Amino acid sequence: MSDLAIVDRRFIARGEERSSTLKFALWLTPWIALLAFGLYAAFLCLYYGLNQTNMDNRFAFGLWIFADLSVIAMGAGAFFTGFLVYILKQEELKPVLNSAVVVGLVCYSGAVGVLMVDVGQPLRAWFTFWHPNTHSMLTEVTFCISTYLMILILEYLPVLLRNRQLQKIPSFLVFEHQFHKLVPVLAAVGAFLSFFHQGSLGGLYGVLRGRPFAFREHFAIWPTTFFLFILSAIAVGPSFLLLVVATVETVTGKKLVEESVLRKLGFISGILLGVYVAAKSIDTIVWLNITSPSVGFAPWEYYAYKPFGSAILFSEIVLLGLLPAFLLIFPKTRARRGWLVFAAVLTCGGVLLNRFVLTVQTLALPTLAFDDFLKYIPSWQEVATFGAVVAYGVIVYSLSYRYLPLFGHSKGEDKHVSVG
Amino acid sequence: MFPWVDGFHWTVMHVVFLTIFGLVLLTVLATFAWSLFRTASDLRSHRAAEVCWHNNFSQLPEAERHCRHEFSGRVIHRVCPNAFDCQHCDMYEAFAAMPAPALRHNPGVGYSDQLLYHRGHTWVQPNEDGTFAIGLDEFAQHLIGQPDAVKLPRKGSAIQHDGIAWRITKNGREIRVRAPLDGTILATGGPQSPWYLRVKPNGAVDLRHLLQGPEVAGWLESEMDRLQIQLRTPGSEPALADGGMLMPELMEALPGADWDEVLSATFLDA
Amino acid sequence: MSARYGMVIDLDRCTGCGACMVACAAENNVPPLPPRATDRTGLTPMLVHKVNNGVEGAGRREAFIPIACMHCANETPCVSVCPQQAVEVDKATGIVMQIPQRCLGCRYCMTACPYHARYFNWWDPSWPPGMEKTLNPGVATRMRGVVEKCNLCHARLHTAMEKAAAAGKKEIDMADYVPACVEACPTNAIQFGDLANSEDAASQAAHSPDAFRLLARLGTEPKIYYKSRQAWVRALAERSPNGHPTEAQHV
Repeated sequence: MSDLAIVDRRFIARGEERSSTLKFALWLTPWIALLAFGLYAAFLCLYYGLNQTNMDNRFAFGLWIFADLSVIAMGAGAFFTGFLVYILKQEELKPVLNSAVVVGLVCYSGAVGVLMVDVGQPLRAWFTFWHPNTHSMLTEVTFCISTYLMILILEYLPVLLRNRQLQKIPSFLVFEHQFHKLVPVLAAVGAFLSFFHQGSLGGLYGVLRGRPFAFREHFAIWPTTFFLFILSAIAVGPSFLLLVVATVETVTGKKLVEESVLRKLGFISGILLGVYVAAKSIDTIVWLNITSPSVGFAPWEYYAYKPFGSAILFSEIVLLGLLPAFLLIFPKTRARRGWLVFAAVLTCGGVLLNRFVLTVQTLALPTLAFDDFLKYIPSWQEVATFGAVVAYGVIVYSLSYRYLPLFGHSKGEDKHVSVG
Repeated sequence: MFPWVDGFHWTVMHVVFLTIFGLVLLTVLATFAWSLFRTASDLRSHRAAEVCWHNNFSQLPEAERHCRHEFSGRVIHRVCPNAFDCQHCDMYEAFAAMPAPALRHNPGVGYSDQLLYHRGHTWVQPNEDGTFAIGLDEFAQHLIGQPDAVKLPRKGSAIQHDGIAWRITKNGREIRVRAPLDGTILATGGPQSPWYLRVKPNGAVDLRHLLQGPEVAGWLESEMDRLQIQLRTPGSEPALADGGMLMPELMEALPGADWDEVLSATFLDA
Repeated sequence: MSARYGMVIDLDRCTGCGACMVACAAENNVPPLPPRATDRTGLTPMLVHKVNNGVEGAGRREAFIPIACMHCANETPCVSVCPQQAVEVDKATGIVMQIPQRCLGCRYCMTACPYHARYFNWWDPSWPPGMEKTLNPGVATRMRGVVEKCNLCHARLHTAMEKAAAAGKKEIDMADYVPACVEACPTNAIQFGDLANSEDAASQAAHSPDAFRLLARLGTEPKIYYKSRQAWVRALAERSPNGHPTEAQHV
């Protein structure tokens, strides 16, 4: 082994098989390239201004906001798995808990990173804390997400500190030992915060009385989209986690968790997806027949513009909602890895479509009688910046998988799972 | 947020929202601060060594967790569930009462019946004045050879059982040698001296966890088997040769071997 | 003072000349934008839309609708959504105020506004050499990355208030407070006044049977009224019931 490989091996836990240093470097290279390119695109936007994007006064939200919402919905697996393990005592999900934390950390930190490029004056981000507007859903989102990101970083800390070399530092290991005992507290707080910010992200659109396509009936101060977003987030979180673990197993060629764990994630996802589809169907019927017409917007009008016809609504609720729910709930399909993964992909697709519909389609649709239906295609700078987030996620996860005990020890004993 | 900020109006909503947020933030910071506080108190009261050792032990593969009673032949196969902590093992009395079968071991490396051996390859010699001498056993010495550097603890400092006693550097690798018992350093020696450390124990000493007599031979034979498997040419089949003597300066003789693996297993480190 | 300043725009008089747009840009120090700016990335706090009745041939009728911030009076959409209270309704005047120095540039208010009356500074403002002499000293320029919109020429209100205070009067003289677009319109299509004052001409015009407000059914209570004797123009107030919205072009 070369000297570099020997040093690299020292950071990998004893008894764990990982690919050679060279192979790992080759794996990381394209992702690092994508990250670098995306960072360059982000730099252009920060330096020259948001005119580098294809957003405009009518499409004030674009690819980035859609990406943020999607990524935060899928990162919901972090808090929800923690909630399931520590609060609902579903111990068999423990093996994927560390992975869930990494996925959550990557999703939220990536989303916050993109947001800092998306806003016109990133240095003013702290103004929301100084002049909070309690009527605004966005204030709630800001407070919750910043606190939750803090929690995710704290939850990642014990995983990090169990690296083979880092744990040789006594103070680090003792700290991890003590901190680990309090992780259930963080899991509970994380679940509380996540409930609110996943909901408020939905609330962002449900309160827009100026956009009847998005506006919904309210329960107290919260529009139905608040609750629908929470439901869809906890439905998609386990599915996305399942996909991540299945992908890692395929890429590394190793069996990392029992199949029953993935099936359980799928089952939970399926049940919640079913509830979500039912709730959304009722909500859609009320919106189409009561809410929207009451302000003079005929519902079928929304779907008069190709390619955003009513097929989108059908896809969202049936093809990418009801269908994967069935596949995930029925034992026969859930038992086959192929169907399980396919259903999880459909679930993620459905939630992505829902976020797309509420961000991009809302803005594309006309409001004034003499408005046009508008088109928007993201610029390469926008796509590259988002690509950087994906690359960042893959890199962080890859590094965590290689150097940290994400799945406990493969030798079978003491699967010490740090966090929730 | 403050009275002098232009245009900001406090409402009930603000109080509710900011109170809840404040509580959440406080909880999060409190868990972090509490952990730091407990860490500091653990470090001060020397409980750190115990925590670190339990963590290291949990990461040892099963094949490196033989119960010491295997070596004396009292049990055929048992994996230690207790971090080699014979003092707090509820099976120890039962095992110790059993007769030890007369086994013939030929470990291929020297040891002494007068010394007490720790699983991390140090030996302990009780002195008449109640102090103890601690040294590195022949197995470890032959493995390492002539150290490049040795970092010994200061006179007057404390060592903890299963904590780190001293460090040896060889060929760019740092080896952390574990302490076989609790005590205070009275004097330090080194590779050129007959011992590495002279230690005054803390109060009454229970050394039942240390190996002595015929079981040492059984242990060293098991260690030699492990060594042979770990040092074999990569790709070859494992073979356990009987007989033969362990040669000194092994790290010099076999520079290409996976020494990180061998040393971790030998010195019970990560 | 508790006024509710608003406008009544007579669409039968609007010729689509765009003088109001130019006057607004001049008054508010709107910077010229680079060549690659489009009508969707432009800074036009007053924007005139061209509309038609959807008929081709001899029956075709066209009109122009100037759109600026409606200064919505009820649950103002942009005020409730701003995360850092950079938008406020001034209780004394009913004007919806934008605070550029506090604006984060998140553009949430822009998605909330159904009238598309808010504009983002996509570029750093820059004026060609010499043009800085045309800047209006009473209005602060804005930086890149913040949202701006019509504020009913609030600087002119300030000037009127200072004049009234200097003369020892409590109320301003409405002759002193004339927004730039009102002043510039060659056909006097825009009437500006205090809608809360029943003796104000604009307030009376707002109650005329030909007056309407855009998207009134949304319930935002805009304070910009429009007036037209042509029924097809008045029908543009709400989304077209037959699902074929007339196409618009901007002037």
